[in-house]
Amino acid sequence: MQITRRHLSLAAGMTAAVALTAGALIASTAQAAPATGAQAPAFTGLTSGGDTISLADFAGKTVVLEWTNDGCPFVKKHYATPPSNMQTLQKTAAADDIVWISVISSAEGEQGYADGARADELTASRGAAPAHVVLDAEGTIGKLYGAKTTPHMYIITPEGELVYDGAIDSKPSAKVDDIAKATNYVTAALGDLEAGRAVATPTSKPYGCAVKYK
Amino acid sequence: MIRFHRAMLAALAGLFLWAPMAAAQAAPDARRAEAELISERAGVLPGETIFVALKMTLDPGWHVYWRNAGDAGLPPELILDEGSNIPEEALGEFMWPLPKLLPVVEGEIMDYGYDDEAVFVLPLTVPETASGQVRINAVADYLICESICIPETADVSLVLTVGEPIENVASGEIIGEWIAKVPGPFEGEARISDAAAPWTLSVAKADGFPEGARVRFFPSNHEISHPADQPQRYGPDGVSLSLTPDRSGKVGETLDGIIRVDAPGAEPVGYEIRAARGDVLAGTAETALAEPVGAEAAVLGWRGLLGLAGLAFIGGVILNLMPCVLPVLSMKAIGMVSAAASGHANELKSHGLWYTAGVLVSFAALGFAILAVRQATGFATLGFQLQHAPTVAVLALIMFGVGLWLMGFFELGTSIQNTGSGLASRNGATGAFFTGVLAAVVGAPCVGPFLGAALGAVMGQPAVAVIAVFLAMGFGMALPFLILSFVPGLQRVLPKPGKWMDTLKQAFAFPMFLTAAWLLSVLADLAGAGAVGWALVGATALGFAVWVARGGGNVRRGLAIAALAVGFGLPAVQANVPPGAVTGEAAVPSYAEGAWSPAQVDALLAEGRPVFVDFTASWCASCQVNKLTTLNTAKVKSAFEAADVAFLVADFTRKDPAIAEELKRRGRAGVPMYLWYPAGSREPQVLPELLNQELVIGLVEGR
Repeated sequence: MQITRRHLSLAAGMTAAVALTAGALIASTAQAAPATGAQAPAFTGLTSGGDTISLADFAGKTVVLEWTNDGCPFVKKHYATPPSNMQTLQKTAAADDIVWISVISSAEGEQGYADGARADELTASRGAAPAHVVLDAEGTIGKLYGAKTTPHMYIITPEGELVYDGAIDSKPSAKVDDIAKATNYVTAALGDLEAGRAVATPTSKPYGCAVKYK
Repeated sequence: MIRFHRAMLAALAGLFLWAPMAAAQAAPDARRAEAELISERAGVLPGETIFVALKMTLDPGWHVYWRNAGDAGLPPELILDEGSNIPEEALGEFMWPLPKLLPVVEGEIMDYGYDDEAVFVLPLTVPETASGQVRINAVADYLICESICIPETADVSLVLTVGEPIENVASGEIIGEWIAKVPGPFEGEARISDAAAPWTLSVAKADGFPEGARVRFFPSNHEISHPADQPQRYGPDGVSLSLTPDRSGKVGETLDGIIRVDAPGAEPVGYEIRAARGDVLAGTAETALAEPVGAEAAVLGWRGLLGLAGLAFIGGVILNLMPCVLPVLSMKAIGMVSAAASGHANELKSHGLWYTAGVLVSFAALGFAILAVRQATGFATLGFQLQHAPTVAVLALIMFGVGLWLMGFFELGTSIQNTGSGLASRNGATGAFFTGVLAAVVGAPCVGPFLGAALGAVMGQPAVAVIAVFLAMGFGMALPFLILSFVPGLQRVLPKPGKWMDTLKQAFAFPMFLTAAWLLSVLADLAGAGAVGWALVGATALGFAVWVARGGGNVRRGLAIAALAVGFGLPAVQANVPPGAVTGEAAVPSYAEGAWSPAQVDALLAEGRPVFVDFTASWCASCQVNKLTTLNTAKVKSAFEAADVAFLVADFTRKDPAIAEELKRRGRAGVPMYLWYPAGSREPQVLPELLNQELVIGLVEGR
């Protein structure tokens, strides 16, 4: 049997290289979106101001990610003035030293696509106050986080743990009137963090328009 | 194709709609859908319940949504408005017609809904106190999306006279037609096995499902990933689907939703199901239907098949580099050099074609052989040709013979320096054809381990798909040569003929001898040492045939032919021993816990130990690679020991019905297959065919 084995390894050696190539072609690459309670995936992106920022830059601070598309009626609902729901959240966050990052994953030519100038113009015209607007036209960050809709909200702790992933509030609709009737999950989660509690609602089903990926 | 046209239409519609969009949104009559309320009756009686409906006609390319819209979108609503004289509770819930898949971003975002036309039927209970007229004033509130989404509202109204029952035939017919499209109750059993990801949803009913039916599960909530494929298996009693859980997905008491059944040549049918948690139902998961399944089954199937054929094609190209094929091809290439040099370049094109035909015919034959085995046994395993001892013996002898030829012990027709003139002769075409056949035959031992995934996926498919995949592989194998024959510039790049060609040819003999040695070791495992001895006798007979034929003359030629017959025939006969007659020790890793059997797995799982099962065979190259790179490494062994993993080996070197059954159950066409049962779980995870240390250690350590 010794001889047999030696021959086996010979044959294996001969075919190894080729089989490896084939295997690499065949093996599927499964990519899993992050789960709350786990470390938030690191990302690097270009801001509307032309700066490169990384999640790691904000270690020690709470980070909110907001997927947005200014043409989407669900986003319009939350930016409508009054009640300026999203703008108020952003300003409150800034006052509490929370880093609010709006991410635009609309591909070029799709609804909501913005270059730096347009993104800044949108921020100004809507009275918005994000710390940064990240331009993600390739959809890299969006797909990394598994962002499905606009809006789609994520909260990351100062230690880098993803603690909220989901909708902005509890009433899936495009009607401004519903904002007052809904529970705002982002406000609730930030409140839980502030009070040192575990986030009561760590996930919810995001609602809105599909992200306009490439 | 329908899908493609629709996408084109949508794109066109998008182009034209884009510019006036902003203006259109303000104008109420520029909606993307027409909405109206219809009723089966014009006249009603107090206290009776009738059906009314919100009927929506959508612009081409636009969608509205099912009760669960999927990843994005919202279902339509009907809200009673001022001016109605019925209470809110008089209107019941929508009866949602069977939805279809609306893929938004492939692999990322999937919605569920409707296009063209959707009729949402709902019951209306006429108040006991109603008299004169029933007036319904309502707002249809819906989100409608194409590439962008627009929330629209439409005022709809309906007036019915109270007093006598008067039919509204036209509307009644529409309502009846759409009630028929509402998923009905499922008369059978549904189970969700969620012990490990992916989950398995199994559905069984007394009369089974129609042949070739594609089934897709649409969840009521968001427990599963909507865009993920739902690989399907089926058995005599039903169907099981592999579901990818959403990242925060958990099954509560039950998993609720509908299944959509698309059978060939039939209208799609839907059933409401409520799957209780438990083991996979028997008779629902026997054969793989591995291609992505869904409402657009035909289209996806076509695409899936293209993908598989593509993989097979690439595999075929790579086959040219295999140690058993490369020498034959090199000889052909050398022939080409000579032909080009001797002014016969024009013949090359036709020879390239003949060669391709030879390869394709051989691969088609292999495909038909596999289909025949599938027909006979209900299941074909990959590499089955290497489980048949006589075949292995003959293949080993062919390798040896080709080696002798490469060494120059004998010439086939003409000497290598004259191959150019040989090509030009009339026999050239036949020669080219048989070179193709020879390349495919010597490639046969290498094919099996190669196309695991593509072939496994295609095994449950119709014969046409199987043959298509084999032909794609053959074409891939023939292509480099074909290109060489047709592109004149390339031939000029080839080096000048000379002495080096003989040296190279002889050098190529050694991979052939090594392949023969490997096949002999397979033969030893299959049929014992005796069979190997007889194979060596056969090899000697081949040597004798070559030697005796050298002198020429009829007597010598006769002797040579007899020796050839004995050389191939005798070992084949001797190798044909009944399975089980050999007690060869299988090549198992030293830390092996023992031989695999379902009972053994159950016993070990009952002890609470994690179990790793290695489905292997000595003729399977990928299995050996995995042993070398992963399973036999110190790191993996110590991880197994630390976690008290029971390591079981299922040796498929010889045919074993229990192992074949298990492979079939897991939707695999052959070995390698690796099953990982984490401690305490009943359902295993099926690991990729190519392992790496990180993957295995990660699993064992529960990372």
